[in-house]
Amino acid sequence: MQTPSATLVSRFAMEVASACFVMAIGALVCFGAREFGIGWGDAGPQPGYFPFYVGLIIVIASCGVLVQALLQRRDRRESFLTREQGGRILAFFGPMLGFVVLSVLLGMYVALTIYLCSVMVVQGGYRFHKAAAISVATAVISYVVFEVWFLVPLLKGPLEAWLGVH
Amino acid sequence: MENFGNLMDGFGIALSFYHLALMAAGVLLGILVGVLPGLGAPNGVSLLLPLTFTMDPVSAIILLTSMYWGALFGGSTTSILFNIPGEPSSVATTFDGYPMAQQGKATQALTLAFMSAGTGALFGVVLITALSTWVAQFALKFSSPEYFAVYLLTFASFIGMGSASPFKAVVSMMLGFACAAVGMDGVSGNVRLTFGFTALISGISFLVAVIGLFGIGELLQTMEEGLRFEGLHARINIRDVFHAIYTLPKYWVTLLRSALIGCWMGITPGGPTAASFMSYGLAKRFARNKENFGKGDPNGVIAPETADHSAGTCAILPMLALGVPGSATAAVMMGGLMIWGLTPGPMLFIERPDFVWSLIASMYLGNVMAVVLVLATVPFFAAILRIPFSIIGPMIVVVCFIGAYTIAGSTLDLWLVLPFGILGYVFKKLDYPIAPMVLAMVLGDKAEDAFRQSMIFSKGSLGIFWTNSMLVASIMTIAMLLLFWPLIGKLIGRLRRAI
Amino acid sequence: MARIKLTATLLASALYAAAASAAWVPEKPVEFVVASGAGGGTDTFARTVQAIIVKYKLMAAPVVVVNKGGGAGSEGFVYGSATPDDPYRVTFGTNNEYLLPFVAKMGYTVQSLVPVAGMALDEFLLWVPADSPYKDTKSFIEAAKKGEGLKMGGSQSKDTDQTLVSMISAATGAKFTYIPFKSGGEAAVQLAGGHIDSNTNNPSENIGQWKANMVRPLCVFSTEHMAAGPKVTKDMGWSDIPLCKDSGVPIPTYQMPRTVWLPAKVSPDAIAFYTAILKKVSETPEWKTYIERSSQSDRFLTGDALRAYIKQDAERAIEVFKREKWIVQ
Repeated sequence: MQTPSATLVSRFAMEVASACFVMAIGALVCFGAREFGIGWGDAGPQPGYFPFYVGLIIVIASCGVLVQALLQRRDRRESFLTREQGGRILAFFGPMLGFVVLSVLLGMYVALTIYLCSVMVVQGGYRFHKAAAISVATAVISYVVFEVWFLVPLLKGPLEAWLGVH
Repeated sequence: MENFGNLMDGFGIALSFYHLALMAAGVLLGILVGVLPGLGAPNGVSLLLPLTFTMDPVSAIILLTSMYWGALFGGSTTSILFNIPGEPSSVATTFDGYPMAQQGKATQALTLAFMSAGTGALFGVVLITALSTWVAQFALKFSSPEYFAVYLLTFASFIGMGSASPFKAVVSMMLGFACAAVGMDGVSGNVRLTFGFTALISGISFLVAVIGLFGIGELLQTMEEGLRFEGLHARINIRDVFHAIYTLPKYWVTLLRSALIGCWMGITPGGPTAASFMSYGLAKRFARNKENFGKGDPNGVIAPETADHSAGTCAILPMLALGVPGSATAAVMMGGLMIWGLTPGPMLFIERPDFVWSLIASMYLGNVMAVVLVLATVPFFAAILRIPFSIIGPMIVVVCFIGAYTIAGSTLDLWLVLPFGILGYVFKKLDYPIAPMVLAMVLGDKAEDAFRQSMIFSKGSLGIFWTNSMLVASIMTIAMLLLFWPLIGKLIGRLRRAI
Repeated sequence: MARIKLTATLLASALYAAAASAAWVPEKPVEFVVASGAGGGTDTFARTVQAIIVKYKLMAAPVVVVNKGGGAGSEGFVYGSATPDDPYRVTFGTNNEYLLPFVAKMGYTVQSLVPVAGMALDEFLLWVPADSPYKDTKSFIEAAKKGEGLKMGGSQSKDTDQTLVSMISAATGAKFTYIPFKSGGEAAVQLAGGHIDSNTNNPSENIGQWKANMVRPLCVFSTEHMAAGPKVTKDMGWSDIPLCKDSGVPIPTYQMPRTVWLPAKVSPDAIAFYTAILKKVSETPEWKTYIERSSQSDRFLTGDALRAYIKQDAERAIEVFKREKWIVQ
């Protein structure tokens, strides 16, 4: 954090948000556990026993985290994420999300070529032909290693079907 | 010293040119599958299995076990360089291995990891050679209460590992347990916590969570600080390798303690994963500078690696002698044994001593060979870190997702990596410890199964954990001591001051 | 007998000819989906079939074995039926394909897959530790009727082992506490260590311990004695094991089929192709060795005979499920 930049999210807000989120998960686990009985039967705990108490402990402990956050006021001024950092995170996470969406739609080979190439050109500042060469080479190498040598199939899409590659 | 004579016979068989060549080929292939994402020892061994159908059993098992050793060593490489553990048992290696790599000490971390792994493995084989008959008997004493006691001991050695807030440590561990509970419950056969998503019946794969938490989470953090690895321009040369080997004896206490933990956990079939976590936990507990752990302490690499490999080698023995495989890879090999016409079980030692002892002999040779071969690859792998981050970063992303997909061939796992990645990033920044969560995910369901089986045994009485056998009582006592050690320590300190 | 063999050979060659001229032959690697973890009975079954196909080059396309043992094997069936018309996923299982959906909500239905072949029947035996006080089935059952009964271990919950235990209880009035372990192998070691009183393992799961005189069989759930072979211990072989129905447990037969499945909407040509291949596999000496070594019954079922078998087997199990209130929905 050498460059001073406006705080986007304060640490305090993040502490509270994550504690609440975790608490919600705990409550969800408790709710889900009730399906199969949460008591202690003749043969020890019922299937829902452990999940229920695990959920309950999550709720209680996240309350503890919440109270701690409220008491420690210094957190309110501390920054969790500055505007600049937020931008960097978004610039990294966005394409990654795109990669997953493309993988599901077009298969992993096409997705990884597009993803690698675009990230290298846009963020790495590489020339297009160099980036394209590297990303296509990665796709081909992955194909040879996984599908041909080790017979592990990766997710394939319409392009592979059209080419008749399997 | 009948065993020694048998071992010499075994060496006689294993030390042929053909078998040595098989070992080298197996180790190299193993390193390859270990380093590649999504391919682990189980994949590699199952793919080689058809090749062995026409081989003689001794050659076949030498090829497969050598591949296994190679894959174990290769798996540590990705843990250290990219924070992506290849196998559950190398998760603990990431805690300090990756920080070391970030500080430009990748060569040192890799070398120490390989050397201590090799030491651990040799320690295990020596023990097997000396105690083979007794060890198999010992493993028979283990039933559900003993298993539970061992898992509890592992958890206990991890509690109180120091974090900003104990609440956060609890939250993290319990989230791990909750994830482990998703899917089919082995004791009752009910499907829990899937909320109607049938894709979740087989549970949340622990590896998917780890890829997200460690791989993607770490990348997000690196990105936030602006596209670079620290210590990028660290020089890499072969002298660093020798220097690291030279420093290894300094850590003899950690080495010895970890090897003992590993052997103990390998024989009592607690397994390499529990062993590596427990060893890491204890190394931190006994360390003078606890603060260095998690920030690149060499002890934090040596401890889990030594324990992992000594447990891995020791686990081969109960597998052969009892027919219970300790890991997925061992299970595939057992399948092979049956196809080659051997029956794993107590009689194997009597019916086919040539097979058993040449396997044990090949474990000595294979591990030595694996250490040499894998050390030769260190400069090559360390050089990967010199590739500009704008290329290597996205490549790691691709590697993570390919790895996640190949675990089960499910697109759901691709999506799951994202939330786990965010969780890993946020938790790390807010000082939630992530190690307890991973530990709970790996061992949570096993511990629960063992607990509930014990309860069926005892008809719901907790007393079984103290009365079942001397063994379970003593493990439970150690676990309790560890669990309350912070309290006991404080008490002793106060008493001292009072005097 | 000779006539049956001749018919079988003729049938096989006819099928082979059909397969050879059939419209469908695999053109890319075929996945063998194993609905169990590595090393289990189903895994050995699938890998043996793979080994024989490789050895005799019965198929030009390579075979890849993938283990999908999650959720008691349901992961395998969900995966195997994910694309209903994909003839490149052949799923290997037991009777769990058509029984699992009754006891838990699964991601597939019984009809998602079509049965291709039943290749063997695995036997169930009643085992006790070698130093057990019960010398025969009668004294064992008598002891189980008293007090809180005996401890019985098995593989998985609400699966074949627990179903059989429930049937024994219903038929004799004996009381058992059933402890589910992860696999039959684990149940075998627990028995050898004396932690449980008995288990109902398949022969291959306990043979190692029996050979070493750590456990011994009381009876086999079958209408006829098992095939004679070499003695396993000094004084006993498989064929010497008494039948349960003669020893006071009125369950004439309890067996588990080793089954092979394809997705429901696969073309008949593909089914014919795999049927022919599996038929050829079942005729090789390697297959006979596998059957003999694992002490299973050699029985090759396809088509209507297989369907009839499945229907009958399912009905009997569902009766137990209803009594134990395991049925979901």
